[in-house]
Amino acid sequence: MSTLRLSHSAALILKALSLGYCFGFDVMEVTGLPSGTVYPALRRLERDELVVSKWEPEEEAASNQRPARRYYEVTREGKAAALAATQRYPLLAHLVPEKHS
Amino acid sequence: MSHGLPSPLPLFDRILLRTVAKAVPFSEREEWLDTWQAELWHVYHCSRNRRSRTFGVIADLSVGLTCDAVWLRTDSWRRAFSGTAILCLVSLLGLCVLSTLLGLALSGSWHSLSLNLGGQFKRFLIETPLVVFVTFATASHRHLEQNTPGKKIYWIKRQLFFTTKTALVLLLAFLLSVDVCMPIRMSLLYTADLLQILFSVFFSLIGLRWSFNDREQRCKQCLRSLATPARVGRPSHNLLEWNGSELICKQGHGLLSIPEMETSWCQASQWVEQTPGWDQAASA
Repeated sequence: MSTLRLSHSAALILKALSLGYCFGFDVMEVTGLPSGTVYPALRRLERDELVVSKWEPEEEAASNQRPARRYYEVTREGKAAALAATQRYPLLAHLVPEKHS
Repeated sequence: MSHGLPSPLPLFDRILLRTVAKAVPFSEREEWLDTWQAELWHVYHCSRNRRSRTFGVIADLSVGLTCDAVWLRTDSWRRAFSGTAILCLVSLLGLCVLSTLLGLALSGSWHSLSLNLGGQFKRFLIETPLVVFVTFATASHRHLEQNTPGKKIYWIKRQLFFTTKTALVLLLAFLLSVDVCMPIRMSLLYTADLLQILFSVFFSLIGLRWSFNDREQRCKQCLRSLATPARVGRPSHNLLEWNGSELICKQGHGLLSIPEMETSWCQASQWVEQTPGWDQAASA
């Protein structure tokens, strides 16, 4: 299987998602990238099937008195692409800290 | 899926969302609005964001939501027009306009450009039938459409598209040849004339060959470019079985088989039309 070559920004976003930052805003905060880069990149990653987006369950959001948010999950192809990107950009691993829930 | 907010967003955000939402394709608008309402609500009500910082984040998110909407719109255009006949003709027309503007920039004024074009265009009209004749005569017959089945309307559409595309390609070849020779026209008039003829013949031949190839590799119904080329058969078994490549129409109209070699049982490319609902029948 050939993995997609990602730009540095896309690789950074994918790395953040694979470390557990699943909302667009969280990705923005942890990567320091502007929203004009993050949200279109998330769309592209979704189009290339490296990530999938889902809606939080309504009940869970309602119990916390907030609206349900759209979150992103890395697919199997996305994990392979993230691994390839980490090999290509070794500093990526140090740029994004692991999420502590 | 529509989500209600526990408390409303500020007026500015609501106006911004309503305005930018108009750029989002209708089918995706509701989901886009839900996504961004939830994101903005989260920014306002997240305890980590202090008030002084919130305005900066909201300003940044305003750019993000606009970029997101624009991306969705351009992606819908890409899906709708990618590989279509309209895109092909518009691109060629755009190149012709660019080429004319380049000619205008090089010649300095409309008057001198029209003088330049006028004289050479008459010569081009004499060259063109010869170039077209040579291209038709030397085009491989297996790449020519032979008795492609289908309704008459599709045949008319194909011929109209091919004629328009070829005319635009020839016009572009002419304009490019004029542009290329423009810088030396003032100092070396006769050399420029000769070079212009050579370049126009050269560009026309390349353009016409492309036009022929492009005609073959388009769907015979919707005229979109065929996609996902796949190799079929093994070249070492050439005398025993068919081998070549196959391309399909993404809209499911049919499949084009292009033989690798011309054989007595398979001389030309073959268009295999798919009947409506073939995909459901195949998956059943």
